Amino acid sequence: MSLIKKWRARFSPSLSHVDDRLLLIIAGSIAGICSGLAAVALRLALESVTEWLHPFRHYWWAFLLPAAGALLSGFYLEKVTREGAGHGVPEVIYAVSKHGGLLRLRSSYSRLISSFLTIGSGGSAGPEAPVVMSGSAIGSNIAKFLWLNDRQRTTLVGCGTAGAIAGIFNAPLAGLVFSIEVILGKWEFSNIIPIAIAAVAGAEVSRAIIHEQVLFNHLFFTVGTADILPGICLAIFAGLISVFFTKTLNFSGKFAQKTRFPFWMRALIGGSAVGCIGLFFPVVLGEGYHFIQSMISETFSMGIFITFVAVFAKIFATAITLGWGGSGGIFAPCLLIGSLTGIVFHKTVFLLFENAACASEGAYALLGMTGLISGVMQAPLTGIFLVLEITGGYETILPLIVVSAISSTMSHYIEPASFYFKDLIKRGQFLRPGTDARILSDLNIKELITTEFTKVSENMLFREFIEIIKTSDQFFFPVIDESTGAYKGMIELRSIRRYVLNPGIYDMVFLNQIMDTDVLTASLENDLQDVLEMMETNNMESIPVVEHDTFIGMISKTRILDLYRRELIMQTSVR
Amino acid sequence: MKNHMTLSVFDLSTCLGVNPDTIKRWVRQGKLPVLPKGADLRFQKKDLEKWAALHNIRLNLSDKKSGEKQNQIEVSLSQALQNGGIYSDIQGNDVVTVLASCVKKIPQVPDDFKPDLLDRLVERENAFSTGVGNGMAIPHPRQQLSYLPHPMITVNFLASPVDYNALDGQPVFLLFCILCPSLQYHLHLLSALSFCLRDKDFIRFLKSRPQMDQLVEKTVMLQETNPL
Repeated sequence: MSLIKKWRARFSPSLSHVDDRLLLIIAGSIAGICSGLAAVALRLALESVTEWLHPFRHYWWAFLLPAAGALLSGFYLEKVTREGAGHGVPEVIYAVSKHGGLLRLRSSYSRLISSFLTIGSGGSAGPEAPVVMSGSAIGSNIAKFLWLNDRQRTTLVGCGTAGAIAGIFNAPLAGLVFSIEVILGKWEFSNIIPIAIAAVAGAEVSRAIIHEQVLFNHLFFTVGTADILPGICLAIFAGLISVFFTKTLNFSGKFAQKTRFPFWMRALIGGSAVGCIGLFFPVVLGEGYHFIQSMISETFSMGIFITFVAVFAKIFATAITLGWGGSGGIFAPCLLIGSLTGIVFHKTVFLLFENAACASEGAYALLGMTGLISGVMQAPLTGIFLVLEITGGYETILPLIVVSAISSTMSHYIEPASFYFKDLIKRGQFLRPGTDARILSDLNIKELITTEFTKVSENMLFREFIEIIKTSDQFFFPVIDESTGAYKGMIELRSIRRYVLNPGIYDMVFLNQIMDTDVLTASLENDLQDVLEMMETNNMESIPVVEHDTFIGMISKTRILDLYRRELIMQTSVR
Repeated sequence: MKNHMTLSVFDLSTCLGVNPDTIKRWVRQGKLPVLPKGADLRFQKKDLEKWAALHNIRLNLSDKKSGEKQNQIEVSLSQALQNGGIYSDIQGNDVVTVLASCVKKIPQVPDDFKPDLLDRLVERENAFSTGVGNGMAIPHPRQQLSYLPHPMITVNFLASPVDYNALDGQPVFLLFCILCPSLQYHLHLLSALSFCLRDKDFIRFLKSRPQMDQLVEKTVMLQETNPL
């Protein structure tokens, strides 16, 4: 450890002389390799544990397996690492926008272990969100180790994310696109290059360890122009399913919180419920890649009605797993629900039109996957590239794009906030670069405050105050208690103008009779957003800041505009 | 029925607090949800609410004006004099005794509060004399008297002039007691009254110990010629 510190002390200062782009590319590729390794580790671990648990699946008590897994995962997160359950992507997005991508080192492994327990035991979730969390934490901590600034750290978080997605799906482009489209939200030249390199690094690691070209093999599909129209219908269907999926996920999480059970109780109930669903529909358990593979290679043998029910079984199982204390992502469930949806749609088409000139079932499974991914994440590009890369089904690209576009539009129309952003928007934490919310959250009260004010005592005679006005250029005077210094009220020149012009009362009144005591005040802890809201509702040009009964200073709209503009320029300037 | 749920450019510009031209520019740039039909632009209330919620913009669609803070009822000087009333033959030979007999005569102040009010008046006099000169003083408490129903000024003619530490050193024969339920009225009345007391004619008039209706008539006249 001390050796590492010594190394850092020697080399890190000289890093500032290295070209920024080169530095980011090198650090990004390291982040990509590390997160790729994390992804591969999780994938191999999941594969072996699924194999190991397979014989036990046939016993009646098998439904307790997911419960045990959720329980362990809950204990681990709650007691050992003290991190929240769920999938973690919103946390990464928030960290990127608010804290310059600062993430804890323990996040780089905590979700890996908890999701390994959840998914390995049969919980219905995907391994990619935990990997995204790890990858981004790895990137963030590499940046911290190298003493990089916020901007560079954000890029490295993107690199980690891209490497992780590229590693777990063996899909470099999807990693790049997901990282930029969902996590960073900013297509910027200086970001794209290092993230692309990191995605390549992550995918290379995955290919070197697991010798496979694509995640799901398939036969060649013959897709023609005739598939565009059914594709559009499928997209609408998939869009509806994805809205339903998003709503169910949100509802389940809220419902679980309302029950007020302790976390282990929740995990136990949720896990058993998923296990019970799994007894009837084994397709819902785990990440379900095995079933996706069988659907794409057209060896899937469930009937149309059972498949239709399975779509909802999987939706509920995933919502329960994630809402009731398990941890994992929604990519894999989306893929499974999507392919089931595609199959149902294909079977329905052939039921209605016996000799429809459509492509095969596998191609529709592919389209359904794209529809679900694009619809739930409202990230059309991620949907397209991910499905293309994990299946290598480039022949389906034309209907694929159509499905992706329509499904995400559809879902956006019904539910403007995507699954990842919804909680953030609700908490006011959705802060994309260059937006109003981001600038207001970056500027804080301390930066805006003007503190040089002549204070006057509440027992001062008006005549003395007139003398002060004569030589001062202030428009606002804070009135304080002369013995304790406590804030009492404000005098605004504008509102006392008519008394100033009447010398008859100069000796008649004291300042505590003139001052305005109902002025709204802000405190240093207030968000700028709240302060602005307060000023706007009450038509104020300036607002005093009072902390613990002491007058600190004032915030004026003029000053806010001034700094706001500079901040906007700084945030949107292209590097 | 017509246009119940829609707004014009002008309505919206007042709601958002911007110039109508700004609204037109936003429509041109495709940033506002505008109704497609019609030559003049109209906006649907429901769409606007959705748009505002999405963009975190405060929309003031209700008709209530935000300027409610300004419309406090101003009480005129003559009204306050009428509220207070005229008292003559106030006994006493120094500041404290004179004030004590003034306070005793005011029916609007509950008996329980009278000693407290007297303390406050005396405290104010000790801080700085309210004798404004020409034999007149304006005693008043520095705090608001929330038990009073409305602001008032009582006019008290003293039985014999009293040394009041006035600015010009003259003994005082007339006290205007300003008693207000809130400080805003107070400042206004004090300012208006002290303005009147600088008028030579008005002082001469006061020395003639007028009746209430004469006094009110005179103050109204003075206020009208010199609105504050």
